Amino acid sequence: MAPSALQPPTRLTPTAALALSQQAPAILRRSVSTAYPPPLNKLLSGSETSDKWLQYENLIQSCLRTGDDQAAHACLKRLTVRFGDHNERVQALRGLVKEAEARNNGELEEVLKEYNQILSGNGTNIPITKRRIALLRSMGRLSDATSALVQLLDFSPTDAEAWSELSAIYLSQGLYPQAIYAMEEVLVLAPNAWNIHARLGELQYMAATAPGVANGSSQQYMAEAIRRFSRSIELCDDYLRGYYGLKLVTRKLLSEGAKAAKQTEDSELTLPDTNTIERLNELATAKLSDIVRHSASHDRGWRGYSEAEIAAARDLLGEDRSPTTR
Amino acid sequence: MALLSKTITAFGGLLLAHACYSAREHTTLLSLRAATAATLTSSPTVAASLPLDIIIETIISTFIILVGLVLGTRPLRPIEWRVWAGKIEREGEEGFTDNSGAVDRDFVGNPFSLLESRPNFVDIRKQRKEFADWIQKGDSLQAQ
Repeated sequence: MAPSALQPPTRLTPTAALALSQQAPAILRRSVSTAYPPPLNKLLSGSETSDKWLQYENLIQSCLRTGDDQAAHACLKRLTVRFGDHNERVQALRGLVKEAEARNNGELEEVLKEYNQILSGNGTNIPITKRRIALLRSMGRLSDATSALVQLLDFSPTDAEAWSELSAIYLSQGLYPQAIYAMEEVLVLAPNAWNIHARLGELQYMAATAPGVANGSSQQYMAEAIRRFSRSIELCDDYLRGYYGLKLVTRKLLSEGAKAAKQTEDSELTLPDTNTIERLNELATAKLSDIVRHSASHDRGWRGYSEAEIAAARDLLGEDRSPTTR
Repeated sequence: MALLSKTITAFGGLLLAHACYSAREHTTLLSLRAATAATLTSSPTVAASLPLDIIIETIISTFIILVGLVLGTRPLRPIEWRVWAGKIEREGEEGFTDNSGAVDRDFVGNPFSLLESRPNFVDIRKQRKEFADWIQKGDSLQAQ
């Protein structure tokens, strides 16, 4: 099924992105090519829906990705005519097109200079600020990107997307405690986001298994990871990612032995006793094999999981089974 | 299901129309009789109440229409957070279709996935490069 042009195309597979950008000529043809500036549009082109403009925005992104610059420019032109040159989102989209078409570092510097210029005129232009951070990160200037992001979060601390980006940047540098902190801020803003809970669990697990982590703090991370994965499962029935993480963590804890339970420090986070961990492990195994079985037989109502996730879960279960049967 | 509910609703509508028509016929007949009776004897008319079968038909047809409409509604959305979230994860688009099989217009999958994909911070050059690599890989696979 072709993806809808109404959803942001960031997470699409290459095939889906290609299909989407191939829709572009049809979508461009279907709607009137002449967009009129605000006072005339009501009179001349009839009613308009917000979907149309959202569609253009998303088409720009996926067309740039697939290299169809012509269609991207056509979409951008219509957006510019409709919303004007100084609209913040349009400015950000124009920057995006320029970034995509830049051939060398010099041209990228040029784009960056333009962003700086816009920002010196209006420091609260959030779409441009975000583009600038993304560009800095893409050019490998991570420390600049981080400081710009921290600055953005200083005056806009409720931007969950920016916190999430900050966490990703820290993670790419191996700074686990900072990444976890930023992800926790996302959770403060979106406490019901089950995927963010699972993501935080994954971060904790990564931090716990990173080389050179003290045993005590590693166990704390593990305990926290169990809690996060459990919460994600609590928020979402049959959440493959949550059960996968839970199984991963409990299996590791069980294979490391029961010494964990004895270590009762005064810290607020201690690992649950071995019995509980075993039961969690069993639960996760049962649920995972349930999910894998159902989606292997393509049962109705179990087709929402992605193929890659199912394959990973099957591998995890397989690894678990082979040592016991031997 | 859609056809069944529509048939039932149409049948109920037919019955209701029939009951209405009968009631109208009955009252016309009654008033006509009353008029002729008035000219003949000038005595007060009989009480103008509908016959029982018309009343019963009206009530039953209303219920049949109700049943048809209720059968035709789309499946109810889960109201518990974890059930709703689980439905999104487990069934994907399939769980959010109307009776004709089209995906709901407001279905977005997991609404929090934007916090992980971060469309405003997209690294377009990397995506472009990855896509070009993917195309090249596909071409070289075809060439083999």
